[in-house]
Order: sequence, then structure tokens, then C-alpha cells
Amino acid sequence: MTFDINVILAQLPAILSGAGVTLLLWIAGTIGGAAVGFLVAVGRRYGGRLIDWPLGLAVEVLRGTPFLIQIFLLYYGGPFIGLALDPIPAGLLGLTIYGAAYFSEIFRAGFVAIPKGHIEAAECVGLSQGQIVRRILLPEMTMLVLPPAINMAVILMKETAILSIITVPELTLTVSAIGSQQYAFVESLFLLAVFYWVLVEVTDKLGRYAEHRLSRYRFSPT
Amino acid sequence: MSFKLFELLLKASLYTIGISLVSILIGFTIAILLSGMLLSGRRALAVPARIFISFFRGVPLLVQLLLIYNLLPVIGLNVPSIVAAIIGLSLCTAAYQAENLRGGFASVPRGLIESAEMVGLTPSQAFRRIKVPIALRLTFPALVNEAILILKASSLVSVVGIVELTRMAQDLAGSTFLPLQLFACAGLIYLVINWVVARTGGLIERSLPGVPR
Amino acid sequence: MTLPAIAVRTLVKRYGDTAVLHGIDLEIPPGQVSCLIGPSGSGKSTLLRCMAFLEEATSGTITVDGEVLGFSEHSNGLRERIPATTNRAIRSKIGMVFQQFNLWPHMTALGNVSEALRTVHKMSRKDAEARAMEQLVKVGLEARAGHYPSQLSGGQQQRVAIARALALKPKIMLFDEPTSSLDPELTGEVLNVMRDLAAEGMTMVVVSHEIGFAATVGSQISFLDQGRLLFSGPPSEVFGKPRHPRLEQFLDTYLDRGASMLV
Repeated sequence: MTFDINVILAQLPAILSGAGVTLLLWIAGTIGGAAVGFLVAVGRRYGGRLIDWPLGLAVEVLRGTPFLIQIFLLYYGGPFIGLALDPIPAGLLGLTIYGAAYFSEIFRAGFVAIPKGHIEAAECVGLSQGQIVRRILLPEMTMLVLPPAINMAVILMKETAILSIITVPELTLTVSAIGSQQYAFVESLFLLAVFYWVLVEVTDKLGRYAEHRLSRYRFSPT
Repeated sequence: MSFKLFELLLKASLYTIGISLVSILIGFTIAILLSGMLLSGRRALAVPARIFISFFRGVPLLVQLLLIYNLLPVIGLNVPSIVAAIIGLSLCTAAYQAENLRGGFASVPRGLIESAEMVGLTPSQAFRRIKVPIALRLTFPALVNEAILILKASSLVSVVGIVELTRMAQDLAGSTFLPLQLFACAGLIYLVINWVVARTGGLIERSLPGVPR
Repeated sequence: MTLPAIAVRTLVKRYGDTAVLHGIDLEIPPGQVSCLIGPSGSGKSTLLRCMAFLEEATSGTITVDGEVLGFSEHSNGLRERIPATTNRAIRSKIGMVFQQFNLWPHMTALGNVSEALRTVHKMSRKDAEARAMEQLVKVGLEARAGHYPSQLSGGQQQRVAIARALALKPKIMLFDEPTSSLDPELTGEVLNVMRDLAAEGMTMVVVSHEIGFAATVGSQISFLDQGRLLFSGPPSEVFGKPRHPRLEQFLDTYLDRGASMLV
């Protein structure tokens, strides 16, 4: 067997465009998922039972089913309820909803983990509600939420590969397509594996660095 | 959607359960080996284990499955695709389970081993009678979690042609033009399976005697 | 002159560059209660852990009942590690009680006490549990035999831990701050068990902040400060006035632990 990665690398522009789509979907999906997830967490905490219950059910369904099934339902089932989306928007929407479910749980845990005493202490020294949120709650939340949020971002990065199944022209689809054209499928998959591996490791390292920088804010939850 | 279709989905879900169960068990066995390498204190063993874990946690499962599926024939192993699928899932879950086990062993308080030493247990007795049972109890919730992750991840073996729950729904959706109903049904079946696993896991966990945190 | 239960000779313990024990010499008389007191970080727990060979001393020797434990030291300064089986045999004369109890969470109280009888002494389950039960009766916990540690209060857990050590019929009992992680209202039940044990003539070495216990039950009080044994003697001598200024200072901070009766 010959192992020639150059036949793949020869198509660099196509690879870069695929990588671009992957990065775009990942970053947009992560930011969107975190934003929606935050709103869901706030809604469930302060919105009363009528909001908490249906949102909680949705989160459980999203967390209890495979991402692939969710994507299939959205992409192939969508048109039947008037939601005919192209692969990229469908993929982005799916990734955002999926990410939001997990992010909402991360934020919820963050809310719960901040000791009431910290807020009471802030009230006692005369901080206003706004000041408490800005000066106490958000910084403490960041520290608590950062490690699982980075973990979730890494998971979402890997989930973008699944979008190739609904023909989103991201990296996995692009590179494996080149691989089958050039009869170099194994080479193309090696290249993919290395790309994702490096990206995940770099994200992980950056995350750890950020955690380390923030670690002076750490407190021991009681 | 007819009952016939639902029945086909249910049958296919047995594949999902079977593949996941076998993969988790094989993965657990490999994970014991890997965590042993990590905790051996020897670089020659720990470094390869760390690279293995980093790779299988860092590469999307889809890419892993395609790679294994296409690589095996190239290196002269012509195995059925279901074997390739199980190998892929097993290696992936092994990486995660190894991390869980390592964490479990590392969080057994040192004092519990010292007290075993003080009543005369040999190091190997202390390991078997004290450390292993406590570490396994500490990692049990993570194991249940991992089982659920693998049940969901097993949907990806559909890409190498295994007609498990997801692939069955996909095939039927193609022939019946009922994607909404079929994928919703498949999702519901996954949900029920995972709920049962989580509940059973929770019941077992509660029946285990308390463990220090 | 009777043989000391434990003899500590010029014991030095260093962690890297910092010395925690600077050449301790101490003899533990048999059949009596010896108390090690001193401020936090004075090295008293480290000294006790060296006596049990849970810590390896940097130099110096520990002799238990006439037998060298851990490392033997030749006259030319060469240290030689004693084989593990020998160490285990010597250590079987010692029972140890820890600050954190260190009960095994996956075994019941009875399981904790009978474990070593079964795995080390190869007793049948029935015999081991019968002997374990005797010990639980002794600490007043026979009714809790089937409970897991998580179902017991701290004081009860510590009494089970004492029973676990006693089940092996040790000649010497070491207590490493046995009441320090207990709520104040639970320290009494543990101290009472220890008093009973002292009354039976058990050789005990107790590291504790319970000055009242040390003054009333102890026969030998050793005061450690910054890794040095400042003095050692009967309580009347150690606590009698005039006192060493470091001890005076130390007692002032422990008025609520029974030191007030001495002031």
C-alpha cells in the first residue's frame, strides 16, 4: 500500500474552505449555544414553573437523544413543517440548539453552586442588586462555568464532523470527498484525525491557561 | 405511521443496545489496562497511554469509525463492518473510561490505605480489598454517564452500514417519506433506553454504601 | 529498668530542605499514657506517624518493644531498610487511630473491625465477627454493627476505629489527634473510651489538643515546639509552676480545651 498524503494536500484551497466552514460553524454554534443556553438557564431559574417545566423537558429530550437524530429530524423532517433549510443553516441551527441544552445545564449548576452567603454578605455591606450581579455573581459564575464550558466547546467542535452526513461542506465532507476522488481515503482520514486532534488539544490548552489565570478567584464551594 | 414501522425500529434498537453494551464492556477492559499504565509511575507505560487517550478523546468519533473501517482492510484484516464498528466504539469509550478510573483511583483517600496498612494488610491485600472497591464505587456514576454517551454515539455506526436504530429510521424515512415521524420515534426510543439506564444506574448507586467525597 | 514500649533515638525528619523533626529522643514507658502536646506544626503528628512507620524518618531509629522498626542504623551511619514482612510483624504490636477515622466506607462497622482478622489472621468469618463484636461491645457500639460509616456520627466512627485497632490485640495504641475532627459534644464519648483503655493498663501514645485529658490521664507529657522536644515528664512537673515560657504561651491559647484548669 502506498501512503501519500500529498495527493490530498494538493487540493489545499478546498481543504481551507472546508476548514473555514468547520471553524465558523463551531464558533457560531458555541457562542449561539452558550447565549441561548444562558437564557434558558435564567428562564428556568426565574421564570416560574410554566417556563421551567417545558424548557426542562426540552433539555432532557435534547440530552437524551443522539445529535445525529436531531439533525436528521431538522434537515429531513423540517421541510414537512415548512422549515426547509440548506445544509449550512440547518447544521448551525442544530448545533446551536444542541449546544444550548448542555450549556443551560452548565449555567444552572453555576447558579446553584454560588453560596447564598456570598450574596448575603454583599447585601450586608450595601451593594445594590446590579452591583451584586456585576461584582459578585458574574465573576464567581465565570470561574465555576469555565471548565465545563470549555469541555462543551470541545465536544461541539467534534460534533461539527457529524454535519458532513447532511452534506454540510465542512472539513470532514471536503477532505473525505477528495480522498475518494483520489483513491486515498485512508490518507484523507488520517489528515482529518490530525486536524481535529490538534484543534481539540489547542482549545484544551488555551482553556486550561484561562482557568489558571482566573484561578485566584476560585473559592471552595460549601 | 404504521405499527409495522415502529416494530422495525424497535428491532433495530436491539442492535443499538447490543453494540453499545459490548463496546462498553470491551472498553472497560481496555480502560483498566490504560489506567494501570497511567498509574504505574513509569513513563514508558504512562506516555503511550496518555497519547492513546488524547487521540481518542480528541478526534471526532465519526472520523475514528471511518478510519478504522477503512484502515482494517488495508492492513489485511477483512472483518465484518459490525466488528469495525465495535472496535471503534470500544477504543473511544476506553479512552474516556480510563480517565474516569484514573480519577477514581487517585481520589481514594490516602488515609484509608494507611489504616489498612496499620492493621497488617499487605499492599496487594489493601489494593484488592480496599482500593479497588472504593475506586469502582467512586467511578460508578461516571460509568453510567459513559454508557448513555455510548448509546447515543452508537448512532454514528450507521455510516459504516450497520442497520441499527438510526440507520433503520433513515432507510425507512427514505422509502416512506415519513422522516418527521420516523426520526421522532427513533429519538423517543433512544430517550426511553437512556432513561432506563439512568434510572437503573441511580438505583444501583443508591444501594451502594456511602463513599467519601 | 523496664524495656520502653517505644524508643525514639535522634530522630530527624526532613521534607526536602525543611526539617520537621530535629533529632528527637523519647522513650514511651509501657502500661502508661504518654501525651505529645504542642502547637500546630510542631511535628507531634509526624513523630507519631514515624513511630508507626507511616512516615520514613530521614535518620535516627524507632525501636518497638526492643525490635527496630523501619530502618536500622549501623554504627558507621549506614541505614538499612528492614524487610517489609519483618516490619509488618513488628507493626502488628501497634494499633493506630487516625484524626480522620479512616474507616473503609464500603464495609459495615463489623466489616471494618473483622477485615484484618479475616484477611491477615485468616480467621473464619464466624470467629472473626465474634471477636469483632466483642470489641464493638467494648466501645458501646454493638447496636451499630451493621451500619456503614456514612450512617454513623463522627464520635461513633472514631469508636469503631478504636475497636478495629483493638481487635488485633496490639500492645501499644497510637492516637493521632483522635478528637480533632469531632464536634465538641462528641469528643467526650471518644475520650471516655480512651480513659477506659488507659485504666486497663494499655500503653498509649496520644497526640492531642485536649490538655485536660493529657493532664488527668497522661503519665508522661512531652512538649514539642518547632520540631524539638522541649521537655518531657510527669504532668505535675510539666504543668507545675514555674513553667517554660513557650508552654505558658501554648496553654494560654488552649484555655477552652481544658487548659484553664491548669492556669
